[in-house]
Amino acid sequence: MMQDTGKNIIIAGVGGQGILLFSNLLSKFYLKLGYELKISDVIGLGQRGGGVESHFRYSTKPVLSPFIKAGDVDYLISFEQTEALRHLHSLKEEGVIFSSTYELTSTSVNTRLQNDLAESKMEIINRTENKKFIIDPEKHKSSEFDISKMMNIFMLGYYTEFRGYSHDEMIQIVKESVPAKFIEGNLKAYEKGAAVAREELVTA
Amino acid sequence: MKTGNENAGMKMMNGNEAIARGAYEAGVKVAAGYPGTPSTEVMDYTHHYYPEIYCEWATNEKVAVEVAIGASFAGHRSLALMKTVGLHVAADALGGAAGSQINGGLVLVVSDDVGRIAGDDYNDCRHYGNMFNIPVLEPSDSQEAKDFMVRAFEISEAYSTPVILKPTSVTCKTTSKVVFDNDYKYEAKYRNIYPISFSKVIMTTIMTKAKGSEHPKLTKCFNDFVANMRRLAVDSNESELNRLELNGKKIGIITAGTPYYYAKEVLPDASFLKLGLVNPLPAKLIRELEAHVDQLYVIEDGHDVIEKNIKDLGVSVIGKELWPKFPDMMRFTPDVIEEKLVPDAPKRTPMKDVPFRLPVACAGCSHNFISRILKQHKIKAAADVTCGLIGCFPHMESYQLQKCMGSSPGLAHGYNLATDNKEKFVAMIGDGGFWATGINGLLNLVFNDSQSTLIIVDNNCLAMTGGQHIASSDFGFNYKQENRLDIAKMCEAIGVTDVVTVDAYAYEELEQSILNAVNAKTNSVVIVKKPCVTKFKLPKETPFCIDQEACIKCRKCINVGCLAIESKTKNGEVEIVINEDICTGCGLCSTVCPTEAIKN
Ligand SMILES: Cc1ncc(C[n+]2csc(CCOP(=O)(O)OP(=O)(O)O)c2C)c(N)n1
Ligand code: SF4
Ligand code: SF4
Ligand code: SF4
Repeated sequence: MMQDTGKNIIIAGVGGQGILLFSNLLSKFYLKLGYELKISDVIGLGQRGGGVESHFRYSTKPVLSPFIKAGDVDYLISFEQTEALRHLHSLKEEGVIFSSTYELTSTSVNTRLQNDLAESKMEIINRTENKKFIIDPEKHKSSEFDISKMMNIFMLGYYTEFRGYSHDEMIQIVKESVPAKFIEGNLKAYEKGAAVAREELVTA
Repeated sequence: MKTGNENAGMKMMNGNEAIARGAYEAGVKVAAGYPGTPSTEVMDYTHHYYPEIYCEWATNEKVAVEVAIGASFAGHRSLALMKTVGLHVAADALGGAAGSQINGGLVLVVSDDVGRIAGDDYNDCRHYGNMFNIPVLEPSDSQEAKDFMVRAFEISEAYSTPVILKPTSVTCKTTSKVVFDNDYKYEAKYRNIYPISFSKVIMTTIMTKAKGSEHPKLTKCFNDFVANMRRLAVDSNESELNRLELNGKKIGIITAGTPYYYAKEVLPDASFLKLGLVNPLPAKLIRELEAHVDQLYVIEDGHDVIEKNIKDLGVSVIGKELWPKFPDMMRFTPDVIEEKLVPDAPKRTPMKDVPFRLPVACAGCSHNFISRILKQHKIKAAADVTCGLIGCFPHMESYQLQKCMGSSPGLAHGYNLATDNKEKFVAMIGDGGFWATGINGLLNLVFNDSQSTLIIVDNNCLAMTGGQHIASSDFGFNYKQENRLDIAKMCEAIGVTDVVTVDAYAYEELEQSILNAVNAKTNSVVIVKKPCVTKFKLPKETPFCIDQEACIKCRKCINVGCLAIESKTKNGEVEIVINEDICTGCGLCSTVCPTEAIKN
């Protein structure tokens, strides 16, 4: 595993999507692999419904800047379309996008203080030259877990599959970190995420 | 930190947790503070992990600093926690301690919200270092946050001075590795060498007027704080807090805090003076770097405090002429440094016109009810610093005036005075703002015969900072039911003529109570009760939904300011919808709909 000398990841979304938990679980995983880490959380202006982003860096060498310079991002993991757009310019040429199609309309658009982008946001994302994995939570709704609340763990399963990491180890971390009453649903979400990624990767 | 220790522990910590650990390792006995983003969690971690340390959320920052000063005079290391706006409130208290005799170390942890990431003004607490002539330490990561805490207490005692430790929103919210001594055993450090400690006014009077006298009654008042700081300035050249890294001769960078890491990443070959102690400055080290390189730059977040102090030494540096400060730049990033100092670096620009996210209140928040009633009845009002200030934003337009925390009763009183009570200007305040300093405004308007109305939003906590307890809360670090204060009783005791308490969700009763109070020719208080929906996870009612056939898309419901209501565009058609995962079923939006399209 250590031939990977490190990656820069931006995790983005809106408040309440469990982004900080996602980056926390990921940090425990990379720590176990022996990497150096720096994770910086930026909570947006909004009390609620504001943007949230986490700059996540792991490396075999000590990490210096807590923020990732634009152009240095390997993976952009976004839980909301608009928030994905804010970071597209930061990706490396070979950087990969993972984005949910979920959209929380910006307040300024709701109230018509600002116009929404004329073009569909997903089209803009799809047009980028980067490799991308688009996940539509509506398609993966299940009676076994609430995807609106557990997209973060779904994404964790997805990402773990994509990177070819050990699911056993990641699941162990989820079990250790999530309150007992939520473990079952979260594991279902995790497995679903991993399964969806497996399918995607075959067709990709 | 060199632990060199077999039992070195290691933990990933954010800056706030690391500061708490530092307080523990410094042997702090008393921690008093007032919440403020981004450093609120310092107190939470301290209280949670280190029960040996007494923790207190004080009524406001000034009181917190005074508590810490008292504990320090008693010989124990003490800590006061706040954000920079809080230090504005506590500045007089700090001024009283600056330059006076210090027994147990006295450290103020004062955070700057650089980048206004959580919505603060553009403040910089380091100005107080200059103003009061006291040391300021600035850590760059969690390890330093912990280590510098311990050093801050040592400096406080060795140089008899309060010390400011300044983390920023970036240091507070960045998680990195912290190495610590697993064998460390907590011991409350004690040092009691001064029988008296007076503010500088008393001491300087005696010191300057009774120069040369050796009478012990006089000399015990002498505290040569000027010499202490001069000594620290000299010692800072040898201090491990400051680090000279002599490399390439072209570029020399003087920096502190996280910008050190941004610059180091972008310019690995440059020479650096990394400051941990930013006041007073190590003049010798600065000159050494100056002599080594062709050009000196200063890279600091916040105001140009280090820059000006360096220029005062007669050293020329490039700073804000290359990187203009606010409003051109919110904070440093690696990108900003690269753009100016690495000319051929590829430039990346963010996508234009991605819509901005204005803040909104949580679904079901009591503030939305008040904002709605004020707007509906065109009542002019002042908001305070509370979640309710969302009503000031342009989508809500419920308030006309909003200033600092605790100000609204004074603002309304002033307005009503000047307009001879013709406009009935109302004040809204949170229960936290009320106890913090707003209560003074209320006292003032009562005995000055005001006709103002104060709406107090009792949500059982300081909601905007995450739900910390206050004097009227039914929980807290040191909570005892018999000590709980009652807002209504307090208002009555102060002499408010008319005090009513109403449930926020009882819409008509709330509306009537506010109208009655506004129309009365006396002073009055309306207490609006409803625990903070988010902090107390109130149970949800059936969500509402919008009948698309009936909806005429007037958007009135959107302007109640609830997070759950969105406008969605599907196949070119706009729909106003309620997000059922977010809606709490409070029903407020249904009161504004002209077509009764909102139903549950
Ligand atoms: C002097 C000062 N101290 C601290 C803060 C940080 N702060 C912002 S809002 C807030 C809590 C307000 O609580 P409350 O007045 O109860 O209103 P709520 O948010 O609960 O409605 C605090 C502590 C500040 N803005 N100013
Ligand atoms: S945190 Fe509480 S007071 Fe603040 S907006 Fe949410 S519900 Fe309202
Ligand atoms: S009923 Fe209306 S105002 Fe209340 S939470 Fe639901 S959408 Fe928001
Ligand atoms: S207030 Fe009623 S009619 Fe107007 S947009 Fe909302 S639901 Fe539609």
